[in-house]
Amino acid sequence: MVEGRSEEPSVDADETGVRELYANGICMKTSEVEAKLDEGNIQEAESSLREGLSLNYEEARALLGRLEYQRGNLEGALHVFDGIDLQAAIQRLQPSLSEKPFAKKSRTRDDSQHSVSQHATNLVLEAIYLKAKSLQKLGRLNEAANECKSVLDAVENIFQQGIPEVQVDGRLQETVSQVVELLPELWKQAENYQEAVSAYRRALLNQWSLDNDCCARIQKAFAVLLLHSGVEAGPPSLGSQIEGSFVPKNNLEEAILLLMILVRKSDLGKIKWDPSVMEHLTFALSLSSQTSVLAKQFEEILPGVFHHVDRWNNLALCYSGAGQNRTALNLLQKSLHKHERPDDLMALLLAAKICSEDSHLAAEGVGYAHRAINNAKGIDGHLKGVGLRVLGLCLGKQAKVSSSDFERSHLQSEALKSLDGSISFEQCNPELIFELGVQYAEQRNLNAALRYAKKYIDATGGSILKGWRLLALVLSAQQRFSEAEVVTDAALDETAKWEQGPLLRLKAKLKISQSEPTDAIETYRYLLALVQAQRKSFGPVQSASEVEDDKVNEFEVWYGLANLYSSLSHWKDVEICLGKARALKQYSPELMHIEGAMCQERGQTREALSSYINAVLLEPSYVPCKVLIGALLSKIGVSALPVARTFLSDALRIEPTNRKAWYYLGIVHRNDGRIADATDCFQAASMLGESDPIESFSSII
Amino acid sequence: MSDPSSSPSSASASPTDAASSQTSSTEVPSADSIAKTQAAIHSLNPILTSIPRYLSSSPDPFALLHDPDISSQISDLLRHPDSGTVDNNVCRWLYDTFQTSDPALQLVVLRFLPIIAGVYLSRVPLRKTLSGFEAVLLAIYSHETTSRNGQSITVNIPDLSHPSIYHEAKPTAKNNATEFNVAIISPTLDPHRTVRSTQRAKIVGVALELYYSKISQMPVRSKIDFCEHCEIWAGQDGSMYRDDEVKQGDEDGEKETKAGFKEGRIPLPWELLQPVLRILGHCLLGPHRDMALFDASHAAIRSLYARSIHDIDPRAILTTGSLLRLGKIALDPKFNIDHTEVKMTNVISL
Repeated sequence: MVEGRSEEPSVDADETGVRELYANGICMKTSEVEAKLDEGNIQEAESSLREGLSLNYEEARALLGRLEYQRGNLEGALHVFDGIDLQAAIQRLQPSLSEKPFAKKSRTRDDSQHSVSQHATNLVLEAIYLKAKSLQKLGRLNEAANECKSVLDAVENIFQQGIPEVQVDGRLQETVSQVVELLPELWKQAENYQEAVSAYRRALLNQWSLDNDCCARIQKAFAVLLLHSGVEAGPPSLGSQIEGSFVPKNNLEEAILLLMILVRKSDLGKIKWDPSVMEHLTFALSLSSQTSVLAKQFEEILPGVFHHVDRWNNLALCYSGAGQNRTALNLLQKSLHKHERPDDLMALLLAAKICSEDSHLAAEGVGYAHRAINNAKGIDGHLKGVGLRVLGLCLGKQAKVSSSDFERSHLQSEALKSLDGSISFEQCNPELIFELGVQYAEQRNLNAALRYAKKYIDATGGSILKGWRLLALVLSAQQRFSEAEVVTDAALDETAKWEQGPLLRLKAKLKISQSEPTDAIETYRYLLALVQAQRKSFGPVQSASEVEDDKVNEFEVWYGLANLYSSLSHWKDVEICLGKARALKQYSPELMHIEGAMCQERGQTREALSSYINAVLLEPSYVPCKVLIGALLSKIGVSALPVARTFLSDALRIEPTNRKAWYYLGIVHRNDGRIADATDCFQAASMLGESDPIESFSSII
Repeated sequence: MSDPSSSPSSASASPTDAASSQTSSTEVPSADSIAKTQAAIHSLNPILTSIPRYLSSSPDPFALLHDPDISSQISDLLRHPDSGTVDNNVCRWLYDTFQTSDPALQLVVLRFLPIIAGVYLSRVPLRKTLSGFEAVLLAIYSHETTSRNGQSITVNIPDLSHPSIYHEAKPTAKNNATEFNVAIISPTLDPHRTVRSTQRAKIVGVALELYYSKISQMPVRSKIDFCEHCEIWAGQDGSMYRDDEVKQGDEDGEKETKAGFKEGRIPLPWELLQPVLRILGHCLLGPHRDMALFDASHAAIRSLYARSIHDIDPRAILTTGSLLRLGKIALDPKFNIDHTEVKMTNVISL
């Protein structure tokens, strides 16, 4: 442990590792003193120091104690310190320092006197500090803590107004800081966390004139204790609260506050960058699901601290975690640029996953996924399956916007191939089983879809709602409505009431499919009651982002009811439901759809048509109205047939499995005299006829 | 929490690893607590093969919590392939013991929560009845529901533009207008009489929150059990994220791609993963340093990190990734300088 080559007296002292004592301009080798100490003769050692270096009793003891401490002779150090009556010394010091707390004017005159008394004070405080350190190393932690505490009490007594910088020499300040820093550490080691918390707060809330680094170390250590001790600290005492300032009320708040302050300080250049601070903050904020706040923190960090690609990738994770996938993708596009870090696996996978959720980005995602698969080598080999999985998802999504049947079926089979390929890597991943189920269902391979849906429920123990919904929808597509209802009921049994909304909606639709409108109405009525109760216990929904998928969506209930009444031709009820729904969402293609149907039923073809057209103008990809427009036009006359055909083809481009679109397209072809084309369309319609789910499969994802 | 006594080792009859997980909040058990403990030990008699004599003669909940012999017997029973059924007597005992409402005895039950939750969740796909486990979990869940009055737990995310007790900020005009971001740490709780499958993760998650709030009083072994089960839950080999010398080489890497999966993998929704990560954070970075616990938690975090990348779950990647790097920093001497140490010089001066 020979380090710290000081510039002090003799050069060879350091080089030879021989210790020397230095005071009053005199230097002396320690060998003789050490020999006396080894014999247990403290007094002789002390007197030889007093003579050799012309010191007083306390000075000699302090030096000896330090010598013993450095030699690792902790018991010896304690013996030496026992010889000084530290408490008495503290008492004695108090008046000498507190005499002139506001002595600014007469400072020069008092300076010499001050420096003498401060020298003595420091001697005592340093001795206590070393005593505490010795006790700490001997495992006598409580005693050590009490020593430190007495020092801080004394210092606080002396400087009631905080330590005035002008009056304190550096050495004394340093000792005080050391004591302030040591005390909470001691309580922590003694596993007395409540005392540790108070010591940390005392260190940070009182005026000790700590330097920036010392203060930062204490703040960080305290934040770590708050985050990970598992002991709730309780809010700080009232005394420390200042009017109008933020007072953290639990561990997490206090820790996050301290860590944010630390990040700010290093941004301002007051302290050196400490990577662990940002990691702790990352942990605390992402644990609290506040990754958007974390993103702000990353953005504020000065350039140069992180490599810019790391920063982009971290930000992408933060934004994606906060649901802002577009922003995340923008960042990933930059970081995956060929001049940056194009092979970063995590970034590639995240980018591909984000793209897989949007059919217009899916093609881009396919590229990322391929790159991910190519780079999943060596120790990253385990991620190959993940790459294949996102590739499958992207391809499946891309198939939805493909312009030709040929391309679509190619993409769909490629999607299945990728997902199947992924299975051998990710056997135990139930999500993959689910995704395969959806993929098969969307391609109307209902038997395979059913198998996977069941497998998913088994693998997850029925714990995930979407598994139940997939199973019920697949059964409904197979026209096995009563079985689908059994599944829905089973799922309802496994669900808490706030998450029952989508299942009840499903159930109502199943009732309709089984021509049991009264039961369906009953189900909707129950749903409405649930909406009311939900509003009561959670308060009104404030923003769109608060509407979670699982919660009951009131608009959908009214819309469903309107639909139901419209199929029963209860037009008065339809109008009531439409009114309620419109109050929640003024412009909606779904509602215009029903209005149009109502007009059509009353023979108001022109009004019906304009409602349908409005719906399509509002939502260009709203298929049901495109089909209805096509159907209406097909009846008007030969001149309208080309337009009808356009609408229907367009509907089929978006939704190739739409049975009604195929049917009406067949009619159009027939009316136009293209019998062969008509036959094909009718055939498609009849094949699909038996495979429509009551809600679209993509509604589950 | 009451103010703890400051004596480092309050007298305890336990001859066990008590010292290693001693916390400052042990108190002398009340007469009522002693009587309940006595009853609990008595009813444990027919379940276990042997009970240390000192426990029967002087029943002390603290000693019961820390007795390694009792713990390992109960743990073995809980891990038995047929455990957790409705008539399982250990589960019955744990349930009854928790229902005594004696805080010290409830700690004894919580001590086994890692194994109960671990075995239970991994066994769900086997379609066995596990109502014995479920009864204990529900008891813990409803205790927490009652004590929280069903309320959610929220955190105000600080905003440095507001002054706080630790820093100053220039008051700006919009200060008063801006509200704090409120983060929901734990959701509102509804009472449950049975474990509905979609509520399973939430119920276990809430039970783990209670475990976390008592974690400083838990024996190290219980925490290590927890870490081991987390590794199983993750179902993902994490050895490629080791930093030490035994890092998997490329040849092993190839093998990993096929054999990277393990039995017992479970879905890890955030409501479960979040309390799991809080507990692992404590195990890795808590003030009570224990190398075995550190290693166990580090291994669990590696597996969960691998898992979160497999799930491409950004929030989980951020949380587990930060723990992974903090674990690395904790082992790096460069970051572990003791600043309270005195500068050692050969020239000692006044």
